[in-house]
Amino acid sequence: PSIRPSLPLRLVSTTPLAPGEQRPLASPDPPENPVDFEFSGGSSEMSDTDEHHFESKADSGASKTYPQQAGAIRKGGHIVIKARPCKVVEVSTSKTGKHGHAKCHFVAIDIFNGKKLEDIVPSSHNCDVPHVDRQDYQLIDITDDGYVSLLTESGNTKDDLKLPTDDVLLGQIKTGFADGKDLILSVMSAMGEEQICAVKEIGGG
Amino acid sequence: MGSNGGGDGAGFNTDALEGVRAILLKPSESLDESTRIAGPDFNDAGLGLAGMLGSLASTGFQASHLGDAIDVVNQMLDWRLSQEKPSVECDEAELDPKYRESVKCKIFLGFTSNLVSSGIRDVIRFLVQHHMVDVIVTSAGGIEEDLIKCLGPTYRGDFSLPGALLRSKGLNRIGNLLLPNDNYCKFEKWIMPVLDQMLLEQSTKNVWTPSKVIGRLGKEINDESSYLYWAHKNNIPVYCPALTDGSIGDMLFCHAVHNPGLIIDIVQDVRLMNDEAIHATPRKTGVIILGGGLPKHHICNANMLRNGADYAVYINTAQEFDGSDSGAHPDEAVSWGKIKGSAKPVKVHCDATIAFPLLVAATFAHKFHGAN
Repeated sequence: PSIRPSLPLRLVSTTPLAPGEQRPLASPDPPENPVDFEFSGGSSEMSDTDEHHFESKADSGASKTYPQQAGAIRKGGHIVIKARPCKVVEVSTSKTGKHGHAKCHFVAIDIFNGKKLEDIVPSSHNCDVPHVDRQDYQLIDITDDGYVSLLTESGNTKDDLKLPTDDVLLGQIKTGFADGKDLILSVMSAMGEEQICAVKEIGGG
Repeated sequence: MGSNGGGDGAGFNTDALEGVRAILLKPSESLDESTRIAGPDFNDAGLGLAGMLGSLASTGFQASHLGDAIDVVNQMLDWRLSQEKPSVECDEAELDPKYRESVKCKIFLGFTSNLVSSGIRDVIRFLVQHHMVDVIVTSAGGIEEDLIKCLGPTYRGDFSLPGALLRSKGLNRIGNLLLPNDNYCKFEKWIMPVLDQMLLEQSTKNVWTPSKVIGRLGKEINDESSYLYWAHKNNIPVYCPALTDGSIGDMLFCHAVHNPGLIIDIVQDVRLMNDEAIHATPRKTGVIILGGGLPKHHICNANMLRNGADYAVYINTAQEFDGSDSGAHPDEAVSWGKIKGSAKPVKVHCDATIAFPLLVAATFAHKFHGAN
């Protein structure tokens, strides 16, 4: 399928991002070997390989976070603070006054390491909100060095996840697995980082 | 002696009458003619400001105190080391008459924030612009209000404007002045990059103190209507130990959330402030303090370390009956050694917005413009 963008687009680079890294919207210094495609609305001059590059860029960069006005973020929602994906536990606003513009005070918990982070943002400013996904996988194996082997939907294995550090969860997984139970692990992913966050037993064998 | 038609005087004792006379018509001590009360004569078309100021001392009540304060400030301005006998241990250089003629009184000026919100800020600016004072002490608002006035004006309001209504319109009230929220938003926008830069410049060798921060802000505002600009230009230190207690504090707080690490050292500044007093010698020191609170105490306390200021003028509306330092009379400071026992301090019980311009007109401005 050809892509017909309505705005002229300029593809700057296809280097994959490190976990937690965000691609800036307008990069001030173009990287050394930019993959430069100039599109104008309506005509597509792409080969299959170009299309492939474009898709993988969209996949690796564009959808990790989305902007939302600070004043619209509520308790229980998500927010990026100091490049960490967090869940908001407290929001309070101070109206415009001696301290300047109206501000939202956020207290949030890093969804991966549980650390408490705080931020103060003018309520009219945009914040980054992380896309947080949860996906379930069946547990196939636990390796000696603490990695898990999971069964994906497509029938492949996913072997790049370590066991969680949380003692309770870790215990449940290890015991369940040792007892030969069928376990489903929920994996939470956001901003290029993944972590096992829950475990369920499937009834039977 | 006159008779009051009392018949034959029976029951009217001459002695008793004498006694009553002695009480009612007690002869008075004669008083010095120079203390006679007389106000300004507006019949005199040529009276002018100078004439009116000259009449203050003889008008009575607080006008007289203001008249006395004018005298004290003029003494501060007129004093030279050459008027004193050289001290026994002084060295050759200190005996030089030219040197002694050049040594003047060191003047500490203190004022509260509300005065900077008012038009007194422009009177202060005049003094600082022409290097007529040596050390300034104020509270946080005394710093930010001066800067904010360069970004957006303060307006006249009324004491009776209802608070909830003002809040809904984004107007903050200081007495009968109004400060729009917009001004603080502009201040926020202006100061954040300056704080970022200050954080970058911070190092173990270059630690920020309130006076250094204030000097930097005065440099950055770069506006001749600001007294802080002139303080920076003329190298006049401005001390503000409670710098965080105002909008600046709010800005520091918000700034630190995103860009933490800025340190402001108040210990260094207290050394500098006290040194201003301790090392003033052989200069005499004079204090002019508008209002009470921190600025008043901080200046007096520093002068305690040199066994007291030589001249003192307070202009404030505070009362002493509650034991507050703000309301304390100069004589209380004498008990602490903050003002010398030999000094003739004056307290003018008056709102400084009235008394201070009159004081400056009769002293600093008068001398600045010559005896025109």
